[in-house]
Amino acid sequence: MKLKFDKNLAASVTLHVLVLGYGLVSFSSRSLEAPPPESMPVDIISADQLSKITAGIKSGEKDKPKPLVEKITDARPVDDAVGKITEKKEIVTASAPEPPPKPVEKPVEKKPDPPKPVAEDKPKDEPKPIEKKPDPPKVDPIAEALKSEDTKKPVPKPEAKATPPQPPKPKQERTFDQSKIAALLDKRDPTRQSITGTALNSSASLGTTRGAAATLSQSELDAMRARLASLWNVQPGVEHPEELYVTVRIRLNPDRRLAAPPQVVSSGSSARYQAAAEAAVRAVLQGQPYTMLRDETYEQWKYMDIDFDPKQMFRS
Amino acid sequence: MPVTSFSLPSLPLNRRDILIGGAGAAASLLLPSLAGAQTKLQVTEGNVAPLPIAIPNFVAGSPADGEVGVGVAQVITNNLKRSGLFAPIDQAAFIEKIVNIDAAPQFQSWKTINAQALVTGRITRQGDGRLKAEFRLWDVTSGQQLTGQQYFTSPEYWRRIAHIISDQIYERLTGDKGYFDSRVVFVDETGAKERRVKRLALMDQDGANVRYLTRGSDLVLTPRFSPSTQEITYMEFGQGDPRVYLRNIETGQSEIVGNFPGMSFAPRFSPDGQRVIMSLQQGGNSNLFVMDLRSKSTTRLTDTPAIDTSPSYAPDGTRICFESDRGGKPQIYVMPATGGPAQRISFGEGSYSTPVWSPRGDYIAFTKQGAGQFSIGIMKPDGSGERILTSGFHNEGPTFAPNGRVLMFFRDPGGNSGPSLFTVDISGRNEQQVPTPGFASDPAWSPLLS
Repeated sequence: MKLKFDKNLAASVTLHVLVLGYGLVSFSSRSLEAPPPESMPVDIISADQLSKITAGIKSGEKDKPKPLVEKITDARPVDDAVGKITEKKEIVTASAPEPPPKPVEKPVEKKPDPPKPVAEDKPKDEPKPIEKKPDPPKVDPIAEALKSEDTKKPVPKPEAKATPPQPPKPKQERTFDQSKIAALLDKRDPTRQSITGTALNSSASLGTTRGAAATLSQSELDAMRARLASLWNVQPGVEHPEELYVTVRIRLNPDRRLAAPPQVVSSGSSARYQAAAEAAVRAVLQGQPYTMLRDETYEQWKYMDIDFDPKQMFRS
Repeated sequence: MPVTSFSLPSLPLNRRDILIGGAGAAASLLLPSLAGAQTKLQVTEGNVAPLPIAIPNFVAGSPADGEVGVGVAQVITNNLKRSGLFAPIDQAAFIEKIVNIDAAPQFQSWKTINAQALVTGRITRQGDGRLKAEFRLWDVTSGQQLTGQQYFTSPEYWRRIAHIISDQIYERLTGDKGYFDSRVVFVDETGAKERRVKRLALMDQDGANVRYLTRGSDLVLTPRFSPSTQEITYMEFGQGDPRVYLRNIETGQSEIVGNFPGMSFAPRFSPDGQRVIMSLQQGGNSNLFVMDLRSKSTTRLTDTPAIDTSPSYAPDGTRICFESDRGGKPQIYVMPATGGPAQRISFGEGSYSTPVWSPRGDYIAFTKQGAGQFSIGIMKPDGSGERILTSGFHNEGPTFAPNGRVLMFFRDPGGNSGPSLFTVDISGRNEQQVPTPGFASDPAWSPLLS
């Protein structure tokens, strides 16, 4: 009797388990088929590298060897290359907005204009529709206006060329008083001046337009290291390899070839050291041109110290 | 000395290169200040590979010297190749034919065949019949002359010239002393296994110029070179007990070292050549003695009831290593050369014998017996860093090359065949058989001849 009851219970339990188990398996099966994620190249970078990448907006290095130069004329030093526009007064026009700047006229900006400080003190952001196609944050109307003054045409330029790009105006249904244009213009001396010099140099001293500082990437260095390793001929069975640590200093031209014979800057007196140093120099000489290095990072690979350390190859 | 040498001046072009190099060195002093942030690159992996080197036939001054010019290049090629540190490039691959060694080679054509070093040379006959051999060693990548020498000798010594040039190249490119201008004395074995005839023989380290020093009527063992390379000492079973003999290679004169009762064996010269150290049998055991060759005075170094034998001096002459079974099995001990407490340095499994101190002082080579095998190995004089270089049925009797980087030993495969000589690098690489006319055992490497 008791046995029978147990049988029922057992049957019930078994059924439940079966049903629940089936449910678990059949209903959850779909979620199990997660497609393998497509492989994606990942660069593992250190905190140091991350900071280098993110640097360059406002905290660029100041000790650029070459000054920023936009035009080739007599050198005219500019104290503040970025040109702060400080106390910009409200231009009083009776609720009239400033003339819309000509947007596409100067597609090629001569100045990299990295940290647009002007962007912050843009005085008004009235509902003025900006129908320029270039992305809005890039073009700062006032900066554009200033730049046009910059180009030695203090005459009411907007008027002169107003015809084609004027269409936006009517849309706003504002009374445009031509006599007031002059008043709209900022008559101060332009604070932003072209920096002149003898050679063009488009890299700004404070940050860069790209936002990421040009840094020798690990892959460039790895490629160079691999190239040198393939050419570095190490004597088999050498004794005391730890004494054969050779540092070679090189100076490279932009064409990625050595500008001067490589110099051994580490020191050692033994004949074996001498032979090791010559082997290192041979590798460096044979490796040129170092095509894996990028133009942008030239300043960083111009001078290099290359350590040749055979110690790890002879661990016994 | 059959060979006289003068260094060759660098070529004019080369001098300019040196000047440029000098200017570069001066500029490098300024570099640190110019280069504020310098990129550092660490290269820790390289090609552990023999250095590719091109050795064209030496230019012959007259057609009669052509054969020597070819021969010299072949001997150098063979030497460098056997060392395991160089990879001579097949002459068939050469693009440029060297016709004048006083002009700089066209380095581009040597770079094309991946040569890193290039040897050019010339053989000419002097008015007095002597041979003049000149060579230059070039670094192909930098286009600089690394070394250049000229030698004068009588024509029959052209092989020695080739060995000396090989040494120059080896030393300049590896930083280690060479070992090619050296000889090996060994026991030549001929005849059936039961009736082997053993003769003392001498040859160049590459197996050429074999000369027999004894007729083979008496059994000879363990020949050793004196530092002057003019004399050898060995053990000979003559009438009565085996004795230690001294023999002048050139004159063929020989004499018994000392007049001791009983057997004397396992002799070896001191580094200055003034003394011979050996074992003397006394009853059931043997002890070490050293004899001054001039005064003939003998000094006892050990006095134990064990078998002390196979003594070998450190290159500075202050210490000796030897084999002793005072601790049970034969092991290697080190003690002051004047006698005193001995320190055991071998502690591995099995037994150790025939220790020999490297001429460089950094290692002691030995024969190790254990697990049914005979091995050749090295360890540091304090017993650390033991390294087995080769193992097998029977390997024995290591001897160092003059530069301490290569060991020669003999190997007997067993059966009806006989022993032959082999060399191996002290790193355990590059094992090579040494060509001998017949079976050979008990090799001893001479110091450099020059």
